[in-house]
Amino acid sequence: MASAERLAGPDDLSEEEREAVETLLYRLADDEFVTAERYTEWQVRAPTLESDLALANIAQDELGHARLWYDLLQDFGPDEPDLIWERPADEWRHAALAELPYGEGDWADPILRSYLYDVAEELRLEALADSSYARIRDRVGKIRGEEDYHREHAENWLERLAEDDESRERVQTALDRLFPYALTLFAPTDEEVEERIDELGLRTESLADMREAWFDTVVPYLEGLGLDVDADADLPDDIGRGESHTDDWDDLWDEFTNTYRELGRSEATRIMKDPDEVK
Amino acid sequence: MSSELPYDPEIPDLRENDPEDIEDDEIPGTGSVTGSGDAAIPGLDDCADPALCAYTEYVEGAEVEDLPATGEGAEGVEVDVWDALYGVEDPEMPVSIVDLGLVYGVEVTDRVDEGVHAEVLMTLTYSGCPARDMLTDEVERAVAGVEGVESVDLRLVWSPEWSIEMVTERGKADLNEFGLSV
Repeated sequence: MASAERLAGPDDLSEEEREAVETLLYRLADDEFVTAERYTEWQVRAPTLESDLALANIAQDELGHARLWYDLLQDFGPDEPDLIWERPADEWRHAALAELPYGEGDWADPILRSYLYDVAEELRLEALADSSYARIRDRVGKIRGEEDYHREHAENWLERLAEDDESRERVQTALDRLFPYALTLFAPTDEEVEERIDELGLRTESLADMREAWFDTVVPYLEGLGLDVDADADLPDDIGRGESHTDDWDDLWDEFTNTYRELGRSEATRIMKDPDEVK
Repeated sequence: MSSELPYDPEIPDLRENDPEDIEDDEIPGTGSVTGSGDAAIPGLDDCADPALCAYTEYVEGAEVEDLPATGEGAEGVEVDVWDALYGVEDPEMPVSIVDLGLVYGVEVTDRVDEGVHAEVLMTLTYSGCPARDMLTDEVERAVAGVEGVESVDLRLVWSPEWSIEMVTERGKADLNEFGLSV
């Protein structure tokens, strides 16, 4: 797709352009942050040491990517506490898929969720590679270089889980639960702003086009593993984005902001003081 | 976050430009940068044979012309800035950040408000690097300590992406010594 006109730097955007850039960045950053936050729950609980390390590693990657997107929101003024530790739960813009708790002890859940999410993320990054906003475009290559392994990891596990009747049944149960939520990845934050994001060339594929491409990849793949996909599934009641979140999100938000509040913080704490300031 | 300085329209900021539109001589301390991140990384997609632990496989990156930047040909205060940067080691491995190829450029200019000003352009090997602030703070302090330098800007950039191709020969030798084969 031919790229739209290049946009200016963060200080020279019009109000409308800036709103579009911010809306897009909040989607990207929040999806990554919340997905990573959930992955970390598997630390020391995954079925094997290697899978434990793998998922922890993937979580770290996604946190790194969230940071690259939050950096760009910081161009517009907010600092880390504004963006993460003090932002009210109802102002987060991630898809509901990211916030769902895992079925207890159900390894099929994070694996399938990672697959559904990582295919979507690949499409999303592809659509940002030629973004009209240079600050976004310049970060896509780095992120894509760190993503390949995620999908490979999920597929590798899914294929093994699908070989056995009992474990395939578990994947099927997770799929029935997660598939409608995976559709929230392509739900708009605000229809009008999403259209503007496309018109400004901030991304080169619309949400609807990416959703279609995602279906074309995940449905045949999952069916090939002997799973049934309800391709006509409706969106769940809570979709996240700019709309309502699940109650589980409030719990998760409470948990990861708890320490910050308990300790009465008003700024993001550094692990180490600047030696020059301590002198 | 003090590590990535707030956007200041007074300072020519390469970040807002389309990389393709940046003239070679506009990139501080380097000649030209090609392959500005769009180029596919050779070897990433042609893994026909599955291998154990693909994540830790060293994948060769595209060579980027004029990177690594090593300070060769620098003059005046810039020489001292490069020396200071050589003194900063990666937090995990005993190898200088310059030899690791993390520094993309140095420019020292005389500014009306800030006096002798050093601008350092650098990247990190990994987006999720937990030592980001520690390392960028150390770099800022090292450069601020150079005699004659009155102000410092460190800009973290992510394009072109760092790859193993950016490690200098001395960096490779240091990594070998440490027990990493590159």
